[in-house]
Amino acid sequence: MRLFKKIALAAVASLLALPAVGQDFIAGIPRNEALIIQGPTAQNADWFNVWAPGGGASVNGQQQLTTDTLWWINPEGGDDAWTNALATEPPIYNEDFTTMTVKLREGVYWSDGVEFTADDLVYTVQTQIDHPGMGWSAAFSLNVASIESPDRNTVIFTLKAPNSRFHTLFTVRWNAAWIMPKHIFEKVEDPLAFNNNPPVSLSAYVLNSYDKGGNWAIWKLRDDWQRTTIGMLQDKAPDVKYVVYAASGNPEARVIAQRNHNLDVINDIAPEGMFAIMKDAPETAAWLPHFPFAHPDPTLPSVLFNLQKAPFDNKDVRWALALLIDIRAVALGSYRGAANLSALGVPPTGSAPENYFVPMQDWLTNFELNTGTRTIKPYDPTIATQLAGMVRNQWPDQIPTDEAALQRSFGFGWWKQDVQAATELLQKAGFTKNGNQWMKPDGTPFEIRVMVEGDAIPTLARAGTAIAQQWSQNGIKATVDVAGPTNGQRLGTGDFETAIYWTVETWGGHPDLSFFLDSYRSDFIKPTGEIQPPRNLQRWQDPRLDALIDRNRTLDFDSPEVVALGIDYLKLVVEEMPMIPLMAYNKFAPLDTTYWTGYPSAENPYAASGPNWSNVRYMIVALEANPNAPKP
Amino acid sequence: MNGFLIYVAKRFGQFVFVVVTGVTLAFLIAHFSPVDPVEQTLSLVTSFGATDPRSVEILRQSLRELYGTDGSLIEQYFLFWSRVVRGDFGPSLSAFPTPVMTIISRALPWTIGLLTLATIIAWVVGNTLGAIAGYFRDSRVMKVVGLFVMALQPIPTYISGLTLLIVFGFLWPILPISGGAQLNLEPGFTWAYITSVIQYGTLPALTLVLVGIGGWFISMRSLVSNIVTDDHVVYAELGGVSSRTVFSQYVARNAMLPQVTGLALSLGNVFGGAVIVEFIFNYPGIGKLMVAGIYAGDYSLVLGVTTFSVIAVAVAVFLIDITYPLIDPRVKLG
Repeated sequence: MRLFKKIALAAVASLLALPAVGQDFIAGIPRNEALIIQGPTAQNADWFNVWAPGGGASVNGQQQLTTDTLWWINPEGGDDAWTNALATEPPIYNEDFTTMTVKLREGVYWSDGVEFTADDLVYTVQTQIDHPGMGWSAAFSLNVASIESPDRNTVIFTLKAPNSRFHTLFTVRWNAAWIMPKHIFEKVEDPLAFNNNPPVSLSAYVLNSYDKGGNWAIWKLRDDWQRTTIGMLQDKAPDVKYVVYAASGNPEARVIAQRNHNLDVINDIAPEGMFAIMKDAPETAAWLPHFPFAHPDPTLPSVLFNLQKAPFDNKDVRWALALLIDIRAVALGSYRGAANLSALGVPPTGSAPENYFVPMQDWLTNFELNTGTRTIKPYDPTIATQLAGMVRNQWPDQIPTDEAALQRSFGFGWWKQDVQAATELLQKAGFTKNGNQWMKPDGTPFEIRVMVEGDAIPTLARAGTAIAQQWSQNGIKATVDVAGPTNGQRLGTGDFETAIYWTVETWGGHPDLSFFLDSYRSDFIKPTGEIQPPRNLQRWQDPRLDALIDRNRTLDFDSPEVVALGIDYLKLVVEEMPMIPLMAYNKFAPLDTTYWTGYPSAENPYAASGPNWSNVRYMIVALEANPNAPKP
Repeated sequence: MNGFLIYVAKRFGQFVFVVVTGVTLAFLIAHFSPVDPVEQTLSLVTSFGATDPRSVEILRQSLRELYGTDGSLIEQYFLFWSRVVRGDFGPSLSAFPTPVMTIISRALPWTIGLLTLATIIAWVVGNTLGAIAGYFRDSRVMKVVGLFVMALQPIPTYISGLTLLIVFGFLWPILPISGGAQLNLEPGFTWAYITSVIQYGTLPALTLVLVGIGGWFISMRSLVSNIVTDDHVVYAELGGVSSRTVFSQYVARNAMLPQVTGLALSLGNVFGGAVIVEFIFNYPGIGKLMVAGIYAGDYSLVLGVTTFSVIAVAVAVFLIDITYPLIDPRVKLG
C-alpha cells in the first residue's frame, strides 16, 4: 500500500510539472523573440520555388518574408498606400502605353551577399517566358515583346500591345511576380523542377528551419536586414527576431493556442470564437477595438447569378430577388450582426468608402427603380445603423455612436426589403402566383438552388441559408446546395443557378478597378459548361460595361478619371443588378498582445494583418516587444 | 504439408484479387472526382492577383501537359499500375512535383506509431477488462467498470477528442494540443525528441483508446460469458481447478481467437489513418493527408494512400488466413 501511495504521489507530482514543460513551445528560440503566426499545413514542405506550380501561392512565410518586387499597395489604403520597393519611382510609360521603364534601387542584397541588379529582373521575365508553366510565364509571354537593361539600374519593357496596367504584374496587393535570384537559378537545368531549398532571401527574413512534415516553418531576421527595401524604411532593428508560421489545427485549437499565448496571430476564426476571445481575454487586440472587431477584406461576397440561365437573365427578376432579402437578418444569421454591408459593386474597404461610398450616397438615395406599375426609391441609407442598433443590447459598450465610425464598422446602407415591389417586378417579368408559390412564365414553379461552399466558409454558408429561407417564405422554392470542394469547379463551369461567393476583389488601397474589372470584358465570356476565367463567374455581358473597360485601359493608373469611371461602373451594377452585393468578407483575426504590441488597426492601418498577405511584412517589422511579457 | 501449400496458394489468389479490385475501384473513384487538380492549382495561382483571362488559359494548357492529366482513362490506368509495381505513385498534383511516396513516407510513421500503440493498448485493456467482467459477472467493481466503458463507447470520436483538447489543453493545460512534436526540435533518436513525440501523441492516443476500449470490452465479455457455461469449464471448476487457472487457461484463452483476428484486422486498418483524431489534434498522419488530397483533387495522393491501405488490410487478412491453421487445428486445410 505504501508503494502504491508513493507511485500515486509521483504520478500527481509529474502531472503538476507538465504545464511547465508545455510552456516551452519552441525549442531553442526565446518566446519573446518569436512572433507565432497561424500557418498552413504544407505537403510540399521541401519546396521553396515560388515561381513554379506547387509553390505559387505559398502561405508558409516564404512569400511573405523573403520575396520582393517592384511596387506594393497597402490594401488598407491611406495617403501612402503606394510603396516603391525595388523600384525607386512609379512605372514610367510612354504615351501609348507600349513601353514601361523601371528605375531600380541600389544597395539591395540577396541574403547570400549578392547584390540585386537589373539582371535579376530581366532574368525573371525571360526565364518565365522560356518556361511555360511557371507562375507568371503566360502573363509575360502575352505582354512582353522585348526587355532590355541599358544600365545597372534601368529596365525597359517593350510591350506587344498597349497596356496601361502592365506594372500591376509587379505590384503586390496579395502577391505579384516576385524577382528571381539569377545567380541561383541560372545554374539550374530546369527551373520548374528545382526545389530552391534553402531559398535565398531578398527581404528582411531568411529561412531558419522547417518541419519536413509541413507543420511549421521558422524565419529569422537577417543580420544585414538593412540591405533590403523594407529594412531601408526602418530606423531601428525590428524587435521580431523570428517569425514562426505554425499550423495550428482546427478553430477550437487555434483559440485555445492563443489563450495559452502560443499563437500571436490567428488568420481567421468564426465570429463566435472571436466574440469569446474579445469578451474573456483583455490582452487581445483586433482590427476594430469594438464590435464587430473584424477586418473587412477587399472582397465582396454576393449573391451570384448564372446570367446564362433563365430566368436570371432578366433584370427584373434579379431586382425582385434583391428586394426580397432582409439584409439585417442575413447579417445576423451569417455574422451574428458583425457584417460590413455593401449595396455597391465594390467592397466597402480600404479607400473605397472615400472614393465611392461617400460620394455616391446621394445618388443611391435618389436612385429610382421602375417596378412596372410605379417607381420606387429602394435604397435605405440607415440600414447599417439599424443593424448596429439590433446588436447594441448584446454589446452595450462596444457599438460606436458616431455615424462615421458606424459606417466604417457596419457599412453605409442597403436595399429595403420590399415584398410588394418584388411582387410587381416578378409580375412585370411574366411570373404569376399560384397560392403562395411563384410560377415562371412557362407555368412551372419558380425554384432556385443557392450554392454555398459549406464548412470552408461557414459565414457565407449561413448567409446562403438565410437568403434561401427568405425567398422560400415569399413563394420561391429555394434550397441550399452545398458544393464543398467542388465549389470552384462548379462556379467556373457555370454549374449553378445562384451562389454565395465573390467575383469582385479590389486593390483596396487604390481606386482603380482593373484588378477584377478587366477580366469582365465580354470577349472572355465562355458558354456554360466551359470554364470561365476567374472573376466574371456570373458571365455578365453588357456593351456599356465593355465600353467602360476599354476606356479604363487607356487611362493612366493614377488618373483622376479612374474614380469617375469607377462610379459609372458602380451605377451600372445597381441598375443591372448582375449580382446582389451583400457585404465585405469580414475576417476575424484576434491578435495576442502578451508578447507583441503595435498591430495594425482601423485607427492605424499601416499594413495588412492577415498572415497570408505579403503585406504582413510591414506589420512584422513594426511590432514592438511587450515589456511586460513573461520572461523566458 | 501439401494441403497447407494448396491452402496458402488459394488464399494468395484471393489476396491478389482483393488488391487488384480494391485498387482499381480506388483508381476509378479518384479519377471520377469532380475536383480537377489543374483547376485547383490555377485557382491558387490566380485567386489573389490581377489575372488576365488569356494568361489563365495558357497556364491551364501548360499545367495539363506538366501534370500529365491529358491521357485517356485507360492509358492512365496502365501507367498507374506500371508505377505501383515499382512503388512509385508519381508526383503529387497538389504539391507538385514532390513524389507521392515522399509525402506518404513522411506521414506514415506518425500514423503507424499512433494507431498501432493506441490499438494495442485499447485491445489489451478492453479484452482484459472484458474477460474479467465476463468471468466475475457478480463483481460490483466490474459492473461499474462496464457501465463506464459502455458509456464511453457511443460517444463520437470528435466529441471525445474535443473534450480532451479543452480539458487538457485549456482548463488544465498540461499537454500539447496540436502537431506531432515540439516546434524547431530536430527529429532523431534523442531523449528530447522521443519524449516530445510521446507528449504530443498522448491526447490523440488517449482519444483513440477511450473510443476503442468499448468494442473490445463488450465482445470479450460476451465471449467469456458464453464460454464459462461450457461443459469443459464447468467440469474443471467441479474438479477443483483454481479459479485463476480456469480463467486464464480454460476461458480467456479460448475467447482470444476471434479477438486476435480482430486485432490483426485493426492493425491492417492502421494504414488508413484516423482522420478525425488527426484533424482535431493537427496530427501529421496519413488520414489528414488523405482528406487534404481529396479536397485538392489530388488523385495521385489519394490513390497512393488508398493503395497502401488496401494492400495493408489484404496482407493482414492473408496473414490471418495462413496463420489460422497453425494455431487452430479446427480450421480445415485444402
